[in-house]
Amino acid sequence: MIEQLTLQQRKLAYLIGIVLLMLPVILFGIPATGEEGSGGKLARLRQEHDLGESTLGKVDPTSATMNLVLLGMRGVAVNLLRMQLDEEKDQKQWAQMRATTESVILLQPHYIQVWRYLGWNLAYNVSAEWDAVEDRYFWVKEGTKFLMQGSERNNRDPEVYWDTGNTLGKKIGRSDEWKHFRKFFKVDPDTERYKGGPDSEINQAGNDNYLVAKDWFQKANDADEKRAQHIMMDVLFRSYPARSQLDYADALHREGQFDETARKAWDGAYHDWVEVFGQMRFQTGDCEIFLEMPAFENAMDQTMAASGVTRDKLEREINLYQNVSNYRYWRAKSHAEKHVNTAAVHRDLYEGEQLFKVNELDAAQESLESGLKGYKVLLDSYKDLTVDDSAIEEGLWAIMIWQKIYQLRNQVQPPEEEIPLRSLWDKEIHRVPNLQQDFNRKYGPS
Amino acid sequence: MTFDRDPFALLTGLRDWLLVFGGFVGIIFSATILVALGIYGTSGPVAVMSRVWQGLHDFTHLSPKRIWAISRLTILEAWRRKALWVFAVFAFLMMFAGWFLDSELRVDMQVKNAVSFALTTVLWLTIPVLLLLSCWGIPEDIRVRSLHTVVTKPVRRNEIVMGRILGFSAVSATIVAIMGVVGYVWVLRQVPEDHQPRLSGWNRLCLAVGLLPNISIEADPKNDLPAIDVSAKKFCRMPVYGTLEFVDREGAIATKGINTGDIWEFRSYIEGGTKASARYKFAVNDPVDQLKLESRFEAFRTHKGRIGQSLLVRYVLVNPTKSLRVPLPSFEIKEFSLNEQFINREVSYYDEDLKDTRTVDLFKDLVYFDEDEKLKRNVLQIEVQCLDSGQYLGMARTDFFIRLPDRSFLMGYFKAVFGIWLLTVFIVSIGVTASTFVKGPVATMLTFSVLIVGQGFRDFMIKLVTGEQKGGGPIESWYRLVTHMNDTLALPDTVGVQIMQGIDKVLLSGLWLTQHLIPDLSSFVMSPYVANGFDVPWGMAMFRSLAMTIGYLIPCVLIGYYSLTLRELEAK
Amino acid sequence: MKLLLGLLFPTEGEITILGKPASDVSKNEWIGYLPEESYLYRFLNAEETLDFYGRLFDMSPQQRKERSNQLIELVGLQNARKRQLKEYSKGMTRRIGLAQALINNPDLILLDEPTSGLDPLGSRDMKDLIVKLKNEGKTVVMCSHLLADVQDVCDRIAILYAGELKELGRVEDLLKEQNETELLTSKLSPAAVADVEAALAKHNAKLIRHGHPTNSLEDLFLKTVQKSQERPGQRYVPTASEKS
Repeated sequence: MIEQLTLQQRKLAYLIGIVLLMLPVILFGIPATGEEGSGGKLARLRQEHDLGESTLGKVDPTSATMNLVLLGMRGVAVNLLRMQLDEEKDQKQWAQMRATTESVILLQPHYIQVWRYLGWNLAYNVSAEWDAVEDRYFWVKEGTKFLMQGSERNNRDPEVYWDTGNTLGKKIGRSDEWKHFRKFFKVDPDTERYKGGPDSEINQAGNDNYLVAKDWFQKANDADEKRAQHIMMDVLFRSYPARSQLDYADALHREGQFDETARKAWDGAYHDWVEVFGQMRFQTGDCEIFLEMPAFENAMDQTMAASGVTRDKLEREINLYQNVSNYRYWRAKSHAEKHVNTAAVHRDLYEGEQLFKVNELDAAQESLESGLKGYKVLLDSYKDLTVDDSAIEEGLWAIMIWQKIYQLRNQVQPPEEEIPLRSLWDKEIHRVPNLQQDFNRKYGPS
Repeated sequence: MTFDRDPFALLTGLRDWLLVFGGFVGIIFSATILVALGIYGTSGPVAVMSRVWQGLHDFTHLSPKRIWAISRLTILEAWRRKALWVFAVFAFLMMFAGWFLDSELRVDMQVKNAVSFALTTVLWLTIPVLLLLSCWGIPEDIRVRSLHTVVTKPVRRNEIVMGRILGFSAVSATIVAIMGVVGYVWVLRQVPEDHQPRLSGWNRLCLAVGLLPNISIEADPKNDLPAIDVSAKKFCRMPVYGTLEFVDREGAIATKGINTGDIWEFRSYIEGGTKASARYKFAVNDPVDQLKLESRFEAFRTHKGRIGQSLLVRYVLVNPTKSLRVPLPSFEIKEFSLNEQFINREVSYYDEDLKDTRTVDLFKDLVYFDEDEKLKRNVLQIEVQCLDSGQYLGMARTDFFIRLPDRSFLMGYFKAVFGIWLLTVFIVSIGVTASTFVKGPVATMLTFSVLIVGQGFRDFMIKLVTGEQKGGGPIESWYRLVTHMNDTLALPDTVGVQIMQGIDKVLLSGLWLTQHLIPDLSSFVMSPYVANGFDVPWGMAMFRSLAMTIGYLIPCVLIGYYSLTLRELEAK
Repeated sequence: MKLLLGLLFPTEGEITILGKPASDVSKNEWIGYLPEESYLYRFLNAEETLDFYGRLFDMSPQQRKERSNQLIELVGLQNARKRQLKEYSKGMTRRIGLAQALINNPDLILLDEPTSGLDPLGSRDMKDLIVKLKNEGKTVVMCSHLLADVQDVCDRIAILYAGELKELGRVEDLLKEQNETELLTSKLSPAAVADVEAALAKHNAKLIRHGHPTNSLEDLFLKTVQKSQERPGQRYVPTASEKS
């Protein structure tokens, strides 16, 4: 039959055939517009089962193209790039290494461990290679930005969010250079470029690094609701936004800020810790608990009734979770610190040390004694504080300064009974030798 | 990156080349004579001699016009066969390259990435095109018999080989030049420009395209504007390197400093706060008013030290003949950046012995004649010391140099482009020669192998040949692989092992020959100089590459000529 | 022919051409060669082709231009001079091939199958060109398996079979029938024919047929090959009986 048709007719027949075949293809394959239930059958199925790349996070067209162009050679290419990266790192070719990092990630945009490893590499390993603090900070920023980018491409994954928060919080707030880093976070050292403000890419509003970190931890928790993280116990992972607020408040004290801002920070920290984190539900082996549960008798009863565990076992479970997250200490600490007079105690101790540094011995002694008196009251009212290293050491440190002042003025060691806060001193005397070493390094031997 | 290459000694190179070339020609000639004698009796050598005579005749009666005719044909062929589509790929890469490059980095690092990217792209796009063109040209001519029409004209076979090489070189010159210019413009666009309002339009353009490394603007007292020095963000430094020896913490001379555990053994470290120092000696000829010193030392800390302050470094100018030691003011180093210091002709310093400030003349008092075997000339000796105790300062010979006035970026960049072209000429020579005696695919493989080995595997080959690489030759390493035998274990002393090692020795000597025949092609790649902000040195890089290209071109033409002459073109 | 040009090497013996050995390139100055097939650069056009080959003879630009124009006209490709050779028909390709062979105004022209694959008209044109060249005093050596064409244009032929020379001579000598005599006259009336017959009868001869001669090169070739097969390795010489 075909043979009897003219060329024109045959062409027409083919065309109709093509169109007919296209119809199902089009029906099945219409791409989704992004709205729920839009697109063809395939797009809907993809959405239903979370199979599209776009469900993993923002899709980078370059990356998608690269992977397409490489056909099946992606693994080989990544291997080569990783070897190159290591070599460039060994030879301290930082610029090239940064570029290679970018290429690796183009090929593996959804491989979480690659993001985490390379982000850490930039923020920790590379930054440590540089001598100038400004340069170190630059590479911490690079690492952070890299992780931010990673979380954008994998916005369902809680772990990269957590890493971003952790770098912003711990690397900036806790490394040896923390004093510089925290300042740089608000006023970038590249003043020419950022006009005396922060690097807006990581700190749009010019906030404290811990508060920015808190936002990222919160994002991690939100993502964790949908897809569980695999890096630590849930109770720890979920505590990070509140911990970040605690760290913020603590950092203000470390920097000698005892004003209303600091108090408010502690107030917020108490709220976050007890009312938000303390109310979070965690699934133990037998039942669902929250850390603040012992304070709610009927919640305890309900849980025991629902799961059939004994009160004893339930209390043990809650206690275990509280211990893991150091819950009771931070509850006590933040509760104590949110009061104005606690801030006054810390300020007295802090100022006592500052006055001692500038050799105002009288004023220093007065300030320390007043502070230590307050500190005794504090420790007596919050028993949970007496188990924490930093709380104990703060007290011991102040006592050592006081002793030093006494010694400088009287040329003899102070008699034991005159030591303020002697109860702490006697109880924790085993910590003194180590601490004394640090003290001597800083202020000279006695 | 190391720029530490020995200066290129043309005469030694030429002598070695003549020896090798002459040696090979001699061996091949005598072998041919002997074989001919063996097979054809006395008429054999006569025939060989007549061939040689004819060859001499052909090489002395070259016609530039005919060579050019072949070259022209080659160029036309490349053009009409759409070889220049490579530009489309290049344009495509350049359009999207910005995606891969980080614009957050420090400007000099951005320049570095952009320049290496542009030059690497030019290199690796040009090479495959030229490789394929040159390896397939002659075999394709023979296959379709268009070469028959050519050789039945009064064309010498060497003219065909030379014409082909010249033609492909011209094609590559065009490709490389156009890509180079586009890449240059692209590099300029990648780097943020200085918008110094006091610059004139012309000055701004000069800075932008790298024609001038810097422009000084005089003070304007009327409007109360100070004198400024605006420098381009891209320039090429002109370093003068010295020699380096170390002094250890006890004050004894050492060739190396301390290894602080760096995997890369390029730099050696000196300990701060001790007698340890790094002693650089720079050859000095003419006095100048001011010396500009530049360094790129690395810091290694064993304790945090004072956070926020970098290591302190001090230069001491030393004249051992007068027992004169002139310490210069210390400065904080900035790692992975330029550390610039200036020394004026008149140097004032505080003399510990005189307890007073003293002034000396840099050239009269400090430059001395060094008796060292390797130097034997006037030098300026500078000792580098680290002042922080417990901290270490790392350096290599090339980390500290006297910086002459900068060259323009334009010049350096195009020297690197020229280097790429030279490499393509080299590849074309090898490719065309190979294609005179084997077919296209084989020639391509052969040339590609030379390229890959010359680019990347030389170090490994040298290690293998010198025995530095553990695990023995090919057979031994196979044996060890199969028997799961660690390369630190000694092999049993048996006859089998001796035979195995004997075979390995033969194989390795083959490798030895290969390693000596295949040149170090990495010296053609000059982009690291420019990317790191250095000028491409004429002697060390340019002449070396040029000499290498010519050195290989001559035997290539000779081999190509004889294999085309002695080949029955009709026989396939 | 390829041996003559040095494209193949003789297993033994020596070849000289125009007094020079075959391997000597300088002989090519006076030789024009048209190979059998696909021998030109297909990406060039007619003008460029001739210009290229002209350059190979070290000709000046002026000369090249003149000569190209002349030759393009000679082979009748004026209308296709700017077209690339890949668009050419077989006949046009042969003609431009011939033109390149003549670029140097050679004394000796070697043509390998000049008419193969050509249509009758093309073949006619080619043969006319060859004859024209002959008339200009050039030596044209051609080889062909189209024997009718050879017969049409050649003065002397050689027959090679199984690598050996079997026959060599002037065409008219070789094709002359020894036992017959051919007369060619103007138109004869029946009476005149009768007269001729009478005259022949007087000489004891007889008019077999009147019309055109029929013997052809093809006959000769087949006969030669047949005889060679009967006596391999020998040159075919007509026997006395055949001659008489």
